[in-house]
Amino acid sequence: MSHLSLFQLNSLVKKTLEDNLEATHWVVAEIGEMRLNQKGHCYMELIEKEGNFVSAKIKANIWSYTYRNLSGWFESITKTPLQSGMKILFNVSVQFHEVYGMSLNVKDIDPNFTLGERARKKQEVIQQLMDEGIFEMNKSLLLPEVPQRIAIISSETSAGYGDFISHLKSNSRGLTFVTSLFPALMQGDNASNAIIESLLKINNNIDQFDLVVIIRGGGAQSDLDCFDEFDLASYVAQFPIPIITGIGHERDETITDLVSHTKMKTPTDVADFLINGLERVDDILNESIFRIHQSGNVQLSNSKAVLNQAVSDMKISIIQNLQKAQTVLDRKFDEFKYKSKESIRLSEQRLLNSQDKLLEKSLMYIDKNKQTLSNFEKQFELLEPTSILKRGYSISRINGKLIKDLEVNANDEIVTEYSGGEAISVVKTTKK
Amino acid sequence: MTKKTSYKVALARIESIVDIVENQEPDVDELAELVKEGTKLVALCKEKLRNTETELNESLKQLDQND
Repeated sequence: MSHLSLFQLNSLVKKTLEDNLEATHWVVAEIGEMRLNQKGHCYMELIEKEGNFVSAKIKANIWSYTYRNLSGWFESITKTPLQSGMKILFNVSVQFHEVYGMSLNVKDIDPNFTLGERARKKQEVIQQLMDEGIFEMNKSLLLPEVPQRIAIISSETSAGYGDFISHLKSNSRGLTFVTSLFPALMQGDNASNAIIESLLKINNNIDQFDLVVIIRGGGAQSDLDCFDEFDLASYVAQFPIPIITGIGHERDETITDLVSHTKMKTPTDVADFLINGLERVDDILNESIFRIHQSGNVQLSNSKAVLNQAVSDMKISIIQNLQKAQTVLDRKFDEFKYKSKESIRLSEQRLLNSQDKLLEKSLMYIDKNKQTLSNFEKQFELLEPTSILKRGYSISRINGKLIKDLEVNANDEIVTEYSGGEAISVVKTTKK
Repeated sequence: MTKKTSYKVALARIESIVDIVENQEPDVDELAELVKEGTKLVALCKEKLRNTETELNESLKQLDQND
């Protein structure tokens, strides 16, 4: 049986390909993997996906001279460097090497396709955010009246962060902001997850912040694809406090910019926005203070007038009351004087009456007793034995004893007392 | 009876003397004694009465002067 050596076969494949294929083909493919070697040659793996399933895959390379030209041009137009994950319209020639097999050599790139592709993808993400009803959510939040507590998502070492802080702190009115940095990678494949992680941290202490600022700046104006990713945009859109972006780029707005509450161009612009907001509040406060002061003065002088009137009214009323009270007092005093005098007069009258009565009764008593005593005196005068004798009676005694129950015998000597004197007689006889 | 004898006691004694004289028929000697005592008591009472009258008049005079 006739046969070919492997080299002969591979040579046949190579010749068949060269005979049948055009010199170059325009082909759309996604960059699966990509690396540069030391000489500046670029080696890639191009893929085509249906969903997550890889339906085609091939190695590709761009020689260093071509790569330098193509990548610079591509980036200048798309503002993004060539990187894995991008869908690109390549101009390639198919190469087959007997030892290394088949690969594609990139001759040219059409950046406009990538632009269009990116616009299409972006539109898809926007549509999805709208379909889920979250696109306007962060925008619909009200900015706090006095946003002073700022959560910052940025890279600590970035020039943008430094600008933002120094601009914020050096405002002309000396307004105070309290800032907390939540560091995150701001570019590359992991940026989206890092920013989401910081948002989650802020959300854990949501009460401590008035708003979130996402800033980056300086450096390459290129790698902004992470800000177009659905996941990050979804978090930003649904975040419970306003988010202000200052991502710092020249090209079209990213989706994160679109769903954020307010989009500013640079970190310095964000700082100005915050300062202006606070200055406005400061102005309103100063105006209010001025007006309060003014209306306070007016009210004060009004009140003073009212008070003065009240004081003078009160004085008059006090004087009137005093006069009234004085009159009442005077009348009471007169009444008191009159009543006292009257009472004294009545007492005196009563006393005089008593005195008269006492005198009268005493005199009566004395008269009555005088009478009584004089009656007794007369009685005693009449009873006096001498006065009995004067009336013709006589008293006879024997031996000094009254002749009453005595036995009188003949020859007894009787002494008879009479008014004129005494007579002594001798008893002759007695009769019974 | 001393001078300290009160008017009231003296008067009562006088009345009792009168009662004795009227109802108990004292003999002449007793009568003489009773009358002597009674007369003395009447004099005493009259003196007291006179003193009282004088004091009363003095008091009234003082009252009049105080008016």
